[in-house]
Amino acid sequence: MTLAESLFENLRLELRRGCLTLAVLTQLRQEHYGYTLRKSLAESGLAIDESTLYPLLRRLEAQGLLVSQWREEDKRNKRFYRLSDDGGLILGQLLQEWQAINASINRILGQPE
Amino acid sequence: MIRKKEDAMELLDRYLQAIKKHLPRKRQDDILAELRANYEAQLEDKEASLGRPLTQGEAEDWLRQLGSPVAVAGRYLPQQYLIGPCIFPVYWYVLKIAAFWAAIIYTVVCVVTLTLQPHTANDIANAFLRVPAVFFNLAAWITLVFVVLEFVATRFPQKLPPIAGISQQWSPSSLPPLEKSKSQHDKPRSRAIAVAEVIFNALALGWLLLIPALPILLFGPGVAYFHASPFTLAHQWILFYWCLVGLASLQLLLRIVNLYRGTWQEHHPVQHIVMKALSLIPLGVLLNAPNQVLVLLRNPARDAVQYGATLDSTNRGIHLATQVIVVIVVLQLLWDIFQLIRNRMEDQPAV
Repeated sequence: MTLAESLFENLRLELRRGCLTLAVLTQLRQEHYGYTLRKSLAESGLAIDESTLYPLLRRLEAQGLLVSQWREEDKRNKRFYRLSDDGGLILGQLLQEWQAINASINRILGQPE
Repeated sequence: MIRKKEDAMELLDRYLQAIKKHLPRKRQDDILAELRANYEAQLEDKEASLGRPLTQGEAEDWLRQLGSPVAVAGRYLPQQYLIGPCIFPVYWYVLKIAAFWAAIIYTVVCVVTLTLQPHTANDIANAFLRVPAVFFNLAAWITLVFVVLEFVATRFPQKLPPIAGISQQWSPSSLPPLEKSKSQHDKPRSRAIAVAEVIFNALALGWLLLIPALPILLFGPGVAYFHASPFTLAHQWILFYWCLVGLASLQLLLRIVNLYRGTWQEHHPVQHIVMKALSLIPLGVLLNAPNQVLVLLRNPARDAVQYGATLDSTNRGIHLATQVIVVIVVLQLLWDIFQLIRNRMEDQPAV
């Protein structure tokens, strides 16, 4: 990997980090367990590594933004996650922030050079 | 080769077992159960899409893609630093300053110790060989102090004393005053200064050249006492004197050339370094005096008994002082070279 590629990769990861949290919270308005959540995000065009997603779910739950419960499905115990009430409030604020940033970036991109 | 489904499962079990070893004990069963459910569902999906169990190679590729067990487990652990990013810049700054002063103090101590005591080449070699250990010990102790600071700052931030750069309680009014910036340093010199330097350099050279004929210009009224004293200067001082005359002439010549070529506005760091390096020549002349004798008795046969001890201590004192001056000049020279290289690198356009 060249220096420029490595730099781009670091910046890309930095840019994605916050977006992934937003996408996960948004997707968990509907209940999912880890693997189906990952699949549904990938189908929406946002692929996330297992090693990033599963620990992220734990962190968000520890922060009180998600709630989880173990339940049997297809003869297998799975941990299902969904957005908590506090998570819903925070998600609303984050979405507003995201839209404001998005609008600003679009305005900046639209400015003549 | 097509393997049985149990083979891929066994590989997954071994993978999960390896992850478990690196997970926090309290949460490992819970995390592992969740990972197992997710991975098994993923494995089933893969096999359903292929319509057969994964081969050994495919299973290995899949697990490799998931990441090494240590890396996967590491994502579940809190990020930990011995010295975190908040404290690291202060740590690095302190380390550099401490290393700089340690180098100076160690050099001075070694020179003084080796001068005052009888020494062999082995002692000098040992002084050099101890350098890595000195720096290693210094770095180890400073690192240890900052590891403790990081620990306190992370776990008990309210107990951290107000240390500049580390504590969150700081006052803008306590910021250090403005330093002389590089741009100020690079400000072009005025022609008046360049001309004044040539005039003063010429006067200094004239003064030097007059000293042999008029030693009163150097010693003042003390010249009468010197002539009356039982001491006289060794021949080495004449060499030293002509080296100084040569250096002053060269400096004057360079200044006149700079003035003539119109480059008087520029700073000439390389010329400055060369002149400083050349200034080691007269010092070397003094250091290499035969038997380190720079002051003699006019009449040794008559005065040796009375003034012999004074003469010895005077010569030792001059020799020691010359050694200290050489060390200082060498350190200044190294510092100037370091600054020159750093400025040149900073001035290079970024790629």
